[in-house]
Amino acid sequence: MKFLPKSRLFQGIAFLAASFLGFALLSFVVGKLLVFMPEPIGSRSSLFVEGAKITLLITLYSAVFGLIVGVLLGLARGSPRPWLRLPALIYIWLIRGTPVLVQILFVFYALPELVPQLQLDEFWAAAIALGLNVGAYNAEVIRAGIQAVPPGQSEAARSLGLSNVKTLRWIVLPQAIRIVVPPLVNNVVALLKDSSLASTIGLLELSLAGQRISSETFLPVPVLTTVALLYLTYTTAITLVTWMLERAMRLKAHV
Amino acid sequence: MSEKLLSIRGLQKHYGAFHVLRGIDLELGAGEVICVVGPSGSGKSSLIRSINQLEPYQAGEIHLYGKLIDPARDVDRLRQEIGMVFQSFNLFPHLTVMENLTLAPMQVRGLSQAEAEARATDLLKRVNILEQKDKYPSKLSGGQQQRVAIARALAMDPKIMLFDEPTSALDPEMISEVLNVMKDLARSGMTMIVVTHEMGFAREVADRVVFMDGGRIVEQATPDEFFRDPKHPRSKLFLSQILQR
Repeated sequence: MKFLPKSRLFQGIAFLAASFLGFALLSFVVGKLLVFMPEPIGSRSSLFVEGAKITLLITLYSAVFGLIVGVLLGLARGSPRPWLRLPALIYIWLIRGTPVLVQILFVFYALPELVPQLQLDEFWAAAIALGLNVGAYNAEVIRAGIQAVPPGQSEAARSLGLSNVKTLRWIVLPQAIRIVVPPLVNNVVALLKDSSLASTIGLLELSLAGQRISSETFLPVPVLTTVALLYLTYTTAITLVTWMLERAMRLKAHV
Repeated sequence: MSEKLLSIRGLQKHYGAFHVLRGIDLELGAGEVICVVGPSGSGKSSLIRSINQLEPYQAGEIHLYGKLIDPARDVDRLRQEIGMVFQSFNLFPHLTVMENLTLAPMQVRGLSQAEAEARATDLLKRVNILEQKDKYPSKLSGGQQQRVAIARALAMDPKIMLFDEPTSALDPEMISEVLNVMKDLARSGMTMIVVTHEMGFAREVADRVVFMDGGRIVEQATPDEFFRDPKHPRSKLFLSQILQR
């Protein structure tokens, strides 16, 4: 971290920490509010809260995993070297060409048959399957973002004697980030919703919790409405955070 | 004969079927200022972009201090010795003016931030733009951006400066502020190759004018000879066309 201005690094970390805190606070408030809801919600609020927690955690883990996969694949996908580009291309083709539900089922049921060491529990099977899935979509976003940085930027950096890696690190990626943040967050919003598919392998996340309460109480309307509103609350919160982040980044360098 | 700083021998370049450079030989001594002129498409830009390996060439040799440059191995070292100024400035929009100047010296030369900033401050003073050091490039005029770009290239302490039509993207009233900085630089003894359409600048500053057409160097002469009495019919035609305006 020799060059990055400390203040900007600090701002980034502070923003991330504030976002996490905001989400924790939001979850806490939502949990408290659910208790005061009329039957059948109030008495079963803890099950909703537990489900929402699993949904958020699985989204967090698979989003981080998917970001790492996406950056690596995106770089490989845009590489001039065929031995990097081709595997990335095949991976993206496979993942985007098959349903995410099948991928979750595959990681949970089929993978342990093929590789006995990979016997994952429901949570990690779903987190990894979702991460691998969103990674493929992120890769395309990141490749497009890198290509959107004008070639003159790399030329200028290279003409100053910066190596390829340093050019990427200091010039191309920082500019690509501003371009890719909105579509990447869209992917996270999609991920949060897709995490409901993990209910098929028996992971008790928000939608499975809703299904259970609904069939237990025979009151699908209030229960499933609550479930939908909880998803909506979180997706809206994510979108709001990004909107703030975009604004902050744009104000610094441009306008 | 004294050792030439840069010598180019038999440089050939193709863009697919298009033969851009058809065997260029050019020598450059320390402190010399060469202006490369000629119609568009004549290969001027390709020539200077080949010199610091921004574009590959298919045949020919480039020697720096008498040492043959291997395009596969010496690229980063070569580029540290050669500064480049682009037509479209290419400042880094996400970095302040000061950061634009300090990035490469810190990342490539390993200077400390204090050293790099001290050097950058001197250079920004020299191009007369120090008061803008904390702004982002988008807040500056074209002329100011190009002066920052010149300072950024100088921050690496290059032996040669290449200018690729540095004033072609500028509004007319900003051209002279950039040319003045370049004149100062030439007077200070910097070795320069300038691709330009500014004939006044070439006449005043160049030690030698190189006229290119169709991927070849058609004529090389002192500015006095070239502008007063061009030898080649192509040079005559070019000058008559450009001076009519």
